[in-house]
Amino acid sequence: MAQIIEPDLNFVKEVIKAGGKDLKKCYQCSTCTAVCNVTQESRPFPRKEMLYAQWGLKDKLFSNPDIWLCHQCSDCTAYCPRGAKPGEVLGAIRKLAIAEHSWPGFLGKLVGSPLYLVFLLLVPVIILLIGANGNPLNPDSIPRGEDGSIVYAKYMPVNTVIDPIFISAALFAIVSFVIGVKRYWNTLKSSGLEPVNQSLFKTLSNTIKEILLHKQFTKCNVTKTRTYAHLLTFYAFVGLFITTTWALIYLYGYEIFGIQPFGIFHFGESPYPLYDPVKILGNVSALALITGITLVVLFRLLNAPRAGIGSYFDWLLIAVIYVIAVTGILSEVFRLLNIASLAYPVYFIHLTFVFFLFAYAPFSKMAHMVYRTVAMVFARHHGIVSRDLNMVRQAS
Amino acid sequence: MEKKIGVYICEGCSIADAINTEKLEKGVRNIPVKRHKALCSPEGVEVIRNDMKNDGINTLVIAACSPRVKYDVFDFPGSIVERVNIRELVAWTLEPKDELTQAAAEDYLKMGIVKVQKSDLPEPWVQETVKTILVIGGGVTGLTASLEAAKAGYKVYLVEKEPELGGFARRLYKQVSRTYPYQLTEPTVGALIKEVESHPNIQVFKASKVIKTDGQPGMWDVTIQTNGKEETIRIGAIVLAAGWKPYDATKLEHLGYGRIRDVVTNIEFEEMAKKGRLIRPSDGKEIKRVVFVQCAGSRDPEHLPYCSAYCCGASLKQAKYVRELDDDSVAVIVYKDIRTPGQYEFFYKEVQNDPGIMLTKGEVTGVYEENGKIYVEADQTLFMGDKIRVEADLVVLAIGMVPATRESQEYLEGLRLASLQGDEAKKAYIEQTPKPEFILNLNYRQGPEIPPFIEGGSYGFADSNFICFQYETRRTGIYAAGCVRQPMTIAEAQDDAAGAALKAIQAVEHVAKGIAVHPRAWDMTYPDPLLLRCTACKRCTEECPFGAIDEDEKGIPYYKPNRCRRCATCLGACPERIVSFKDYSVDMISSMIKSIDVPEDGLMMLAFVCENDAYPAFDTAGINRLKLPPNLRVIPLRCLGSMNLVWIADALSRGIDGAILFGCKFGEDYQCHFVKGSELANYRLGKVQETLGRLQLESERVRMVQLSIADYNKLPEIINEFVEKINELGPNPYKGF
Repeated sequence: MAQIIEPDLNFVKEVIKAGGKDLKKCYQCSTCTAVCNVTQESRPFPRKEMLYAQWGLKDKLFSNPDIWLCHQCSDCTAYCPRGAKPGEVLGAIRKLAIAEHSWPGFLGKLVGSPLYLVFLLLVPVIILLIGANGNPLNPDSIPRGEDGSIVYAKYMPVNTVIDPIFISAALFAIVSFVIGVKRYWNTLKSSGLEPVNQSLFKTLSNTIKEILLHKQFTKCNVTKTRTYAHLLTFYAFVGLFITTTWALIYLYGYEIFGIQPFGIFHFGESPYPLYDPVKILGNVSALALITGITLVVLFRLLNAPRAGIGSYFDWLLIAVIYVIAVTGILSEVFRLLNIASLAYPVYFIHLTFVFFLFAYAPFSKMAHMVYRTVAMVFARHHGIVSRDLNMVRQAS
Repeated sequence: MEKKIGVYICEGCSIADAINTEKLEKGVRNIPVKRHKALCSPEGVEVIRNDMKNDGINTLVIAACSPRVKYDVFDFPGSIVERVNIRELVAWTLEPKDELTQAAAEDYLKMGIVKVQKSDLPEPWVQETVKTILVIGGGVTGLTASLEAAKAGYKVYLVEKEPELGGFARRLYKQVSRTYPYQLTEPTVGALIKEVESHPNIQVFKASKVIKTDGQPGMWDVTIQTNGKEETIRIGAIVLAAGWKPYDATKLEHLGYGRIRDVVTNIEFEEMAKKGRLIRPSDGKEIKRVVFVQCAGSRDPEHLPYCSAYCCGASLKQAKYVRELDDDSVAVIVYKDIRTPGQYEFFYKEVQNDPGIMLTKGEVTGVYEENGKIYVEADQTLFMGDKIRVEADLVVLAIGMVPATRESQEYLEGLRLASLQGDEAKKAYIEQTPKPEFILNLNYRQGPEIPPFIEGGSYGFADSNFICFQYETRRTGIYAAGCVRQPMTIAEAQDDAAGAALKAIQAVEHVAKGIAVHPRAWDMTYPDPLLLRCTACKRCTEECPFGAIDEDEKGIPYYKPNRCRRCATCLGACPERIVSFKDYSVDMISSMIKSIDVPEDGLMMLAFVCENDAYPAFDTAGINRLKLPPNLRVIPLRCLGSMNLVWIADALSRGIDGAILFGCKFGEDYQCHFVKGSELANYRLGKVQETLGRLQLESERVRMVQLSIADYNKLPEIINEFVEKINELGPNPYKGF
């Protein structure tokens, strides 16, 4: 039975625009597949993805979990004899896959294009300006703490401003992700692959374990050092997530359940003293984040000649995280040093970018944390596993 | 001339370490002999020159290195020079200071002296020749060949059968550029045509054909017919650039041609583009999706088994035509391989960058119509090897090239096979088979066109099938270039044309001096038959690989020396042994064989070695100091085709125990420099078995080996095996008679 092939020139142009501009140079020699250490053996990638992309076969590309099994080692890009940069092409396809499945669709297009960056930033700026107590450029207009120190909670009240805004943003992101994932799972199912005999829960827990250990990263050759950069950044985010939840427990435990501070645990309103475990965790995570994201940038630049420089989509997320890390640390530093003229603006910027990260997570590269996990679960659940490196090494 | 012989023995290059040169000198009777430490040095040559000046020595026997080296040093015009090879054949391959080695050196020297005694100084056959060049075919190849020859100062006559010059190149809409930025350019043939038509050395005959070519190189009378009028011109050499025709697409019904209106050939597509009508032939609608089927009827054992070189580049170019008209259109190319030789690879890379051009490998299994839509199906594609189906508005079949000489080659081959079955069959064939248009119309006994190099032909191409013999054909002075010889692109055809023009120039210059052309491009001898004893058996006229011999009404051969390549195949073929050359004859070789000292006990073997591949193999074995058995005597021949069976009789009657013939390879991957020589020797050997039987001798005493120069390292093994065989058979019973 012959496969019906419907080439789609518009999709080819889209992939080229989204970062796969050297896509057409591929002449199907399969060197990329030969050097890829994360591909599976039975239907390996990325050669066929390069072919599908050249022919604009959107359905074949999106219904295939392979594009997310790819971890952008860029070994393929480094070895491609024609300079077709398959790693970048797959990155572009991932971006288009996110835009295709995320909800609402128009936000996917906006986040992917540098033209709309200013508008996207304006949304949190306006909301925060409305909710703020005073003008960040005029520190005297902002109420201080009892001893005249800077208390951010007086500038941006937690119960009425921060929590409603950020929890709404988070909820929006979650809802958007759920819809997106449902759509994506359906697309993946249309590939017609047969599931293996294993409970979805077991597959999920195995996948999470693999992710936590960053096993796939260690298979790369050209960009092996990314393992540490991503590990640091990843666990920094985990730490910061725990910190935020912990702070919420302190605040609402005090306000709703009336828990009083005891020992080093300062239930109540922020700011909290530096020796409180929540602050220790938060500061350590912040340092991990700034180190991690700096390493990400450093390794990207060092590997650029062989692995390619990356697209706007990649660098947007990196920039956002960088700003968050720097402004977060500086907010604390300026607060402790009581330099109000710098503290409030920096804190404002910090909040803006955190909102950007949360609200647009389903549409930016941040979405990889959900889509890749889903794809890896789907793949594992349908018998697709990366090639066994030990077998590969024995054979060579 | 009155011969005065002088023998010179060189002692350099380890010759004196292996041979007792003093003893060798003493063994020569009644002829002045001199020894020298390094004969090829200026001092050594001075010795020879002094003897020539002072003592009138004019016939030199130089016992030193191989005749294939130092020929520029031992160059004495006006004298007979015979090079006896005691270096590679003796000093370097036999055991030093052994008595058998000494015996070999003595035999070779004796043979050399006998040879010059039986030789004469050649006098070239110089006639009144012209140096004009006829170019048949006015396409890119013919135009370029004409220009090259004209710019070198030769008068050129260009004959083109169409009313306009330019061939297929004129029908192009755009051409592929071989320089950055590798885009499409205007066709370049227009400039070529202008240059040709305005060049004072070139006379152009348009709408013309060659209806008769009479004579021989340097002296051909070529009759050209234009619109019923005839003109006869004297021609020196011919360049055949008759080009190609597209393969008959009606045979490709399985690809939809003829069945579906919107399936066209790439030639038709180019015409559509040139007329500015790139629309569907069926309903005139625009083309949004065109599918190119590469190798349509090519690389296919049922149609054309070969690749036609130009079609991949042409389809890439034509895909660009569609894309440049409409940016929303898509061109799909299904290929077996993409072959864009040389600089065309850059064009391929450039075209690949176009997002609307999509390529996949695949074997097209069908083109069909369904519900008013056309589909192309292909298997073994890049889509994980699966079978795919693509919809198309228009399908373009990339058609292969068929050379202009194919029809005549096939007709003449059929005629030959029919003649073998008798006159009735021949008559029937002539009556029933439509006669194609001949191109050269040679008035040669062997036929009006160029025969193929190998039996069965080379798919109709006028090709030499061997990279050393480019442009050569089996007719001296006629050189094939361009697509009539091999499928090629415009760039390759222009290079080819320049090469063939050079060969044509070489031919006219040599023939004017009475010198042979490739491969004996120094030879001033020519065959001089003693027609008195001719029995008109016709073996020479039929076996000559180059058709150099015509016949008169009585069937007596009539040599055309300028057509001759001096291979001496006729010398080997003649049972009456009437053919000889001034420095090569049956008697000469027979005398050489008879001068060998055949010992009463111990074996002696002869090796007849052709000068083109086999002798160099022996030399190379010497250079590599491989050990050969000492009881072998090498007799160099011009070509194994010149092997006359009487030499075997002479050898065996002298008590020589065995003879082994070394010649170039023949057959499909032939290397025989005279095309048929070694093949004929092999065929004749079959006859000699009969003679051996009558003499009560075993047929294994005579064997033929096909040898290439690269097989030099197998020589010791081959010869030793032969020696072992002869040992088994025992000595020649006629020894000592």
